[in-house]
Amino acid sequence: MSELESLQTEVAQLKAELAQTKAVNQKYLQNVAHQLTAPLGSIKWGIEALKDERVPIGRKGVLLSSIYSQATILVHLIKNFALMSNLEADLELGQFREKPEPIDVMRLSINLANDFQPQALDSEIKIVVNDDSFKKVFQTHFLEIEKNLVAQAASNIIENAVKYADRDTTVLISACLKGEHVGIQIESVGIPITKEEKENIFERGFRGYSAKQKVAAGTGIGLYLALRVMKLHGGGIEVKTEGKLSHFIMLFPRNRVAKGH
Amino acid sequence: MDTILFVDDEPTTSTQPLRMLLEAKGFHCVSLTDMTSALEFLRKEQVSVLVTDIMMPSGDKFPGIDSSETGFHFVGRVRSEFPDVGIICLSVIGDQSKITKLKKQGVLYLRKGETPLDTAARLIESKATGTISY
Repeated sequence: MSELESLQTEVAQLKAELAQTKAVNQKYLQNVAHQLTAPLGSIKWGIEALKDERVPIGRKGVLLSSIYSQATILVHLIKNFALMSNLEADLELGQFREKPEPIDVMRLSINLANDFQPQALDSEIKIVVNDDSFKKVFQTHFLEIEKNLVAQAASNIIENAVKYADRDTTVLISACLKGEHVGIQIESVGIPITKEEKENIFERGFRGYSAKQKVAAGTGIGLYLALRVMKLHGGGIEVKTEGKLSHFIMLFPRNRVAKGH
Repeated sequence: MDTILFVDDEPTTSTQPLRMLLEAKGFHCVSLTDMTSALEFLRKEQVSVLVTDIMMPSGDKFPGIDSSETGFHFVGRVRSEFPDVGIICLSVIGDQSKITKLKKQGVLYLRKGETPLDTAARLIESKATGTISY
């Protein structure tokens, strides 16, 4: 093949790749727009129904809690988009721009669980934090972490757990020891994750088949971001599944355990 | 009593206010979350108006359908199997050519968050009864 011919093939390949990237980006943007518009639309209609005298007063409490949970979803989603750009910069630097601080992770877990309580309630799901496990693993010690990043990573996992759990089940948050790591574990019962899906679950934009069958819309960036955050802390995320039972364990190196104030 | 069938995978948040308002007006509202169960319901029960999302699960009878396109397949099915059922699409898709295609099938398209709740309720009511109340 002449040099010109091979150049032409290369150009054609690049063109095809570019077209594919463009298509992926377009689909992603469409998805983002959907993700932002849907909760805002629900909030708007929720408020209109609240103001409407024809809707019985006894049903308005449900509307209020639904508005609240939609607002929570929206805040969480926007935080993810902001985090995405910050994280790329942190990863390029190889370090945090904010200094990690000693954080009481049991308190953090309880606060996060409370944030998702209204959403969980919509599907009759309970979120339980196992206090004893945290006391056993951390005693009075804190964890040296970048709080906002870890909170967002944990939120992404908890949000998934709530979104894909079966009705009337419990999402359990606990602490555990794993070799050289300490972990925060999020356990839920819901849609099964296949072996193949497990391999791709941290890819940006990836969503599993059953996940799409349960909730059609989603950005597929939650777990991607969560893993990036954990890597920046020198840790990772372990995924264990058994049928409908899933465990996501956020692992931190033990040297991040520090004495509390 | 007229039955309005809602198909949306996030019913608690998405269509709840609309259903509350229509129920207050005396309609019977049923909410399902995927295409398979919705078609099964349509085959069993008398439905006046169908209000459906586009991006939603297809359910176990239609495994090959991309969830972002489910509504289009669903509308096509309903049109041929149940020509008398009024169809309203309630979604956030912005692709004008796709919306035009829906309109050609006699579907009324409402964008979530843009149509006021009261207007949406009245449009559904008029599809169901042929009249509009104020």
